[in-house]
Amino acid sequence: MRLPPALKVLLIRDIMDIFLQQLVNGLTIGSMFALIALGYTMVYGVMKLINFAHGDLVAASAFVGLFIFAELFGSGTSIFIAIAVFLLSAVVIAAVGVLLERIAYRPLRTAPRLSAVVSALGASMVIQNGIMLIWGPQMKIFPDLIPQVYWDIGGVVISLIQVLIMVLSLALMIALYIFIEKTKIGTAIRASSIDQDAARLMGINVNNIIVTIFVIGTSLGAVGGLFIGLYYKGITFNMGWQYGLYAFVAAIIGGIGNIPGAMLGGVLLGLFNAFIAGYVSSTWSDAFTFILLIVILIVRPTGILGERVAEKV
Amino acid sequence: MAVNELILTNVTKRFGGLVAVDDLSFRVKEGQIYGIIGPNGAGKTTVFNCITGIHPCEEGSIRWRDEEIRLLPPHEVARRGIVRTFQTIRLFSQMSVAENIMSGRHIKSNQGWWHGVCHTPGSRRDEYDNWNKVDELLDFFDLSKYAVSPVGSLAYGIQRKVEMARAMATEPTLLILDEPAAGLNDKETLALLETIYRIRERGVTILLIEHDMDLVMEVTEYLTVINFGRKIAEGTPAQIQSDPAVIEAYLGSDDDDF
Amino acid sequence: MMKKLERFGYPLFFLVMLTLPALLDSRWLAVATTFVVFTIVALSMDIVLGKAGMFNMGQALFFGLGAYTSAILNAKFGWPLWTTLPAAILIPAFFGVILAGPIVHLRGDYLLVTSIGFNIVFIQVLQNNLGGLTGGPNGIFGIEVLNIPGFTDSPQIGAYIAAIIALVVTLLVMHNLEHSKAGRALHYLREDELAASSIGVNVRVYKIFSFALGAGIAGMAGTIFANQYSAVSPEAFDFLQSVLFFSIVIVGGSSVPGIILGVFVMFVLPEIFRDFATWRYFIFGFAMIFTMILRPRGIWPAKFGKIPKRLIKEINHGR
Repeated sequence: MRLPPALKVLLIRDIMDIFLQQLVNGLTIGSMFALIALGYTMVYGVMKLINFAHGDLVAASAFVGLFIFAELFGSGTSIFIAIAVFLLSAVVIAAVGVLLERIAYRPLRTAPRLSAVVSALGASMVIQNGIMLIWGPQMKIFPDLIPQVYWDIGGVVISLIQVLIMVLSLALMIALYIFIEKTKIGTAIRASSIDQDAARLMGINVNNIIVTIFVIGTSLGAVGGLFIGLYYKGITFNMGWQYGLYAFVAAIIGGIGNIPGAMLGGVLLGLFNAFIAGYVSSTWSDAFTFILLIVILIVRPTGILGERVAEKV
Repeated sequence: MAVNELILTNVTKRFGGLVAVDDLSFRVKEGQIYGIIGPNGAGKTTVFNCITGIHPCEEGSIRWRDEEIRLLPPHEVARRGIVRTFQTIRLFSQMSVAENIMSGRHIKSNQGWWHGVCHTPGSRRDEYDNWNKVDELLDFFDLSKYAVSPVGSLAYGIQRKVEMARAMATEPTLLILDEPAAGLNDKETLALLETIYRIRERGVTILLIEHDMDLVMEVTEYLTVINFGRKIAEGTPAQIQSDPAVIEAYLGSDDDDF
Repeated sequence: MMKKLERFGYPLFFLVMLTLPALLDSRWLAVATTFVVFTIVALSMDIVLGKAGMFNMGQALFFGLGAYTSAILNAKFGWPLWTTLPAAILIPAFFGVILAGPIVHLRGDYLLVTSIGFNIVFIQVLQNNLGGLTGGPNGIFGIEVLNIPGFTDSPQIGAYIAAIIALVVTLLVMHNLEHSKAGRALHYLREDELAASSIGVNVRVYKIFSFALGAGIAGMAGTIFANQYSAVSPEAFDFLQSVLFFSIVIVGGSSVPGIILGVFVMFVLPEIFRDFATWRYFIFGFAMIFTMILRPRGIWPAKFGKIPKRLIKEINHGR
């Protein structure tokens, strides 16, 4: 079929529009995935445990944020309110995270892996249903902490919230990277990821390190959860599994246990998701994401940035 | 007719940059009791891992009964009559002694996977026969009174016997023993000696790693000495004892067995 | 005491189960039927998770495959329901083989996530009405009911009896499995894969076998389930269901009594105590955590030391 030249240009422009729009959307979602993925990857790196409850803590932070806003402020949008809500929510969630580690994971440090996995699942159920028991099963609307400002740049719509999410996430990731690479605690964390026993022998207090990663990981996840609330507006008690699984897939793609990997994986997965939604259909995005995961686990299980570790017999 | 001989030629195994086994060659003849000795970390267990397919070697050839087995996975090596025990004892600790020995009958059993769903008279007979064999082995190794006990809770010496019983249940042609005397007291070591002879009487060829020099000198007929993955000497126990390269290799380590 | 419990346990259980239709009203009979169906699925899960030790969190997929196979063949193609049974067993078993193939070598938690992944893909396929066959989010209705001879007047009791028959078949298969080379192989590879391999067990083949067998049994349960409700829909088979079956086996323990107990607590108790229903998962979550800390092998762990009785007698009577 021969198209008139004008029509051809239009078609290309459409594809480009979709591309750029999904690029923006994808980077936004990807940033959120990255923040959440960091929580998974840090815990997995040191404890070799998938913290299934992490996704639910992320969901909880959205609800906690809603609660804090409603109780302390009631209404209004100012930069100070936003910062206050973010900080307080992060603190609360981090505290819950520390409690989680103490109750559900620490007693099982020496137990076989399966036990910790089951405990993590149990913790996930507790937190998720805890949210439901407190706030009910209906969807709740997250408050407008950030004004709904949009810009239209040549057919591509981008919102203030999206910009904020991308910029803040990037800042946090850079900060984390510097922390991990350049500080003493960061080095201790990396050492514990490689060999917990050796780190202990070198005088590193592994218990404290674990508490530290839980605090950092859950705080980042909490910020991610608040972003989810800001971006999607509607929050449900069981959204933790949804985003949690996606973020975990992101962490695996980037290389589980590898911090830059989680960031990379998050962004890539966000882009992948957005492009599937844009070019295929959003009703299939789950399926595609998991097929991608399965392919990666079969073909390159250590992820993009991960390393192979041999096992001694 | 293929002869029951194990021939290693120029076998090399690397782990990344580390050469664990370096151009190793030796030959185990049918019915021999052959020993591999060397200081700690010399690469002896790695050689066994190469033979049994756990860590396939990159270069060289491993021939058993005139067949190249270098690249075979562990269960295929076992099917061809080569079975091993482990330095660290790898038993199925949640299971009973009898069940552990029964695992050795796995390759001898002619049941298919479908018999897991539904038994036939033939498979029932197979079960009956195999448990009888387990009974015989319990007798042979004097383990009858422990038959029902969970293996993980038994004394070290008993566990070692169970591991050997399990290996013998496969009716091996070549039995590979990785430090069978480790952790045994004198009395138990003597019993081990007896057992090794009894096994050989059944026509089984034996290849073993050992640090207990008394045992080695007594029971083995021929030895290869390894250090840093390379062969530094081979010969009868008497020849090895007076080989200067061997003496030097051992004097350099903290080994106080020598 | 334990021995007595075992000898009388099974007959007692079935005695109770067979008298239930006379004692229960319609609503409770439906609960009992679902209880039996879920017990079958949990037992199928035990083969993969309890016996072979593989972290499978996608069993609901095979359950759903069986249910949907029967539903599609019956409602869309007019096959009598009982003739769909072989397909409802073989198709899930087939998928068990091809899905397990690429993933059984993966480490525990990775296997877990891929099995969740398969489950999620399956649900999306169902919801998107693939090929116009799967009926979308509403599922498939109008499945004809099985005609059990003697119970054609009361289809509900008929459904219950069908479930009981399927349970008996399942228990027989599992009994057979425990006393066979294949069943023991599963235990070996769970305990120590390397040792099992070195003793001649083809670990890969038996892992796939366990998946396929579990899938086939779950598929059979799917047909019974479709029969009971005359309908199938995606939510009954999403991965949250898989999580529950997983938890039942782990918390209850890899034994028939443990699993029955687990299914009872998870599905029957919330029906009895309606208030409990909203708190059910919350409480169960804690139960999972504390069971792992205090009783890691489950509340009623697998019986240990399965040796033929005659052997034990011979050994005890001395040499």
